Amino acid sequence: MSIQSNCRYLFILIFSVLLISGANDVFAQAADTVATDTTAAPKTKKKELAGHQLAIGIDLVHPVLNSLVSDRFGYEFALDYYTHNDLYLIAEGGWGGSTVDYSDLKYSTTNNFLRFGFNRSLLTRDRPTDWDMMFIGFRAGFADVSRSPATFTVLDSVWGSRPGIAAGKTFQAYWAELNAGMRVEFVRGLFGGWTARGKILFNGKSFNDLAPLYIAGYGKGDKNVAFDFNVYVSYGIRWKRKNVADTTAVAQKTD
Amino acid sequence: MTRAGKYFPFILFAFSGLWLACTQTRDPCLTPKIASFNVETMHLLTDTSTVFADTALPAAVFIPLARVDSNAGTIFPQQSDFTISLSPDSNVCRWQFTTDSFAFAFDTLTFYYQRNQQFISNACGFTYFYTLDSVHTTKHNIDSAHITNTSVTNNVNTKQLQIFIHPDF
Repeated sequence: MSIQSNCRYLFILIFSVLLISGANDVFAQAADTVATDTTAAPKTKKKELAGHQLAIGIDLVHPVLNSLVSDRFGYEFALDYYTHNDLYLIAEGGWGGSTVDYSDLKYSTTNNFLRFGFNRSLLTRDRPTDWDMMFIGFRAGFADVSRSPATFTVLDSVWGSRPGIAAGKTFQAYWAELNAGMRVEFVRGLFGGWTARGKILFNGKSFNDLAPLYIAGYGKGDKNVAFDFNVYVSYGIRWKRKNVADTTAVAQKTD
Repeated sequence: MTRAGKYFPFILFAFSGLWLACTQTRDPCLTPKIASFNVETMHLLTDTSTVFADTALPAAVFIPLARVDSNAGTIFPQQSDFTISLSPDSNVCRWQFTTDSFAFAFDTLTFYYQRNQQFISNACGFTYFYTLDSVHTTKHNIDSAHITNTSVTNNVNTKQLQIFIHPDF
């Protein structure tokens, strides 16, 4: 078995353990919630007690990978805003590129990308100030890719090798993602977490004349399905909701 | 969920990211890199027959003309299906062909075509596919040659040319 296969199997094993671990936590918390509900009063509309939060995050995985591989690089940032009912609006962006330097194929690419979407937390809050979460989410992604002219050689044992050139090109890539992950608050406002991503490329055929080795934000440009993950460190800026602040003030006056 | 319990999967997953580095080598090329020009030989069952059948030639020989390596071509014992290639250097190329390597004259097949630059994948690189325009042949052992599919790609299952051997062979 090759080293690559070993690595893949180990990666799958770790991912499976994490999913099972996460699922256990979610089910345990759900069970607690059900037990509490049996003694609760009739359902009323849930009041949003948590404040606003805007979190800015930086991805740590890709800078590490950049130092380990020479043929591609990428940097990613994330911005999320808590709306209500455990729903977060997400904007992510970054840049990257790739350099192909094989004996029969040479070119380079650079690209910027943006992703927009949302995360939905699966964990019930212990208290309004509890910002830890496991989540699922959706993203729509867009990348603007610029590819240099490519030089190539067709190796033919009968007729001999023939060199050629493919003209440079600028093109766009569009994809959608399903995400899952978790985020925990280490100290007040400072978070760490990971996001696993499954991606589907919509317009791969439009750059089939030379699909880029790597599109930052998506993955391998010659694959219509890609998987990726990020580890984020984020900082959250918080402020109170107006209705929550008013209620608190009225309660204090009454006292 | 305890704090330690929360941190555990986070830390573990962060370390697993390092394993992605294991997959960064060039993927192996799993598709043919040279376009396959697939040829089938046929003959009339009798002089007066109109029925054609596959002809397994005893020791057919294909020799590319103007090839880089000037060694002799390939001998195909007891075959009726052959795979040859077209030159990526020009819009015309020639192959010499005989039905039997022992004491039979060679025919020359001349192919005219258009070349189309084709990206296969980052693992395989580029190649050329071809669109056949016409085929000309001498007629020592060959009665005629017909193009059945003008598109020459790396699909090994599509036949592009039928060579009809003289009935008296």
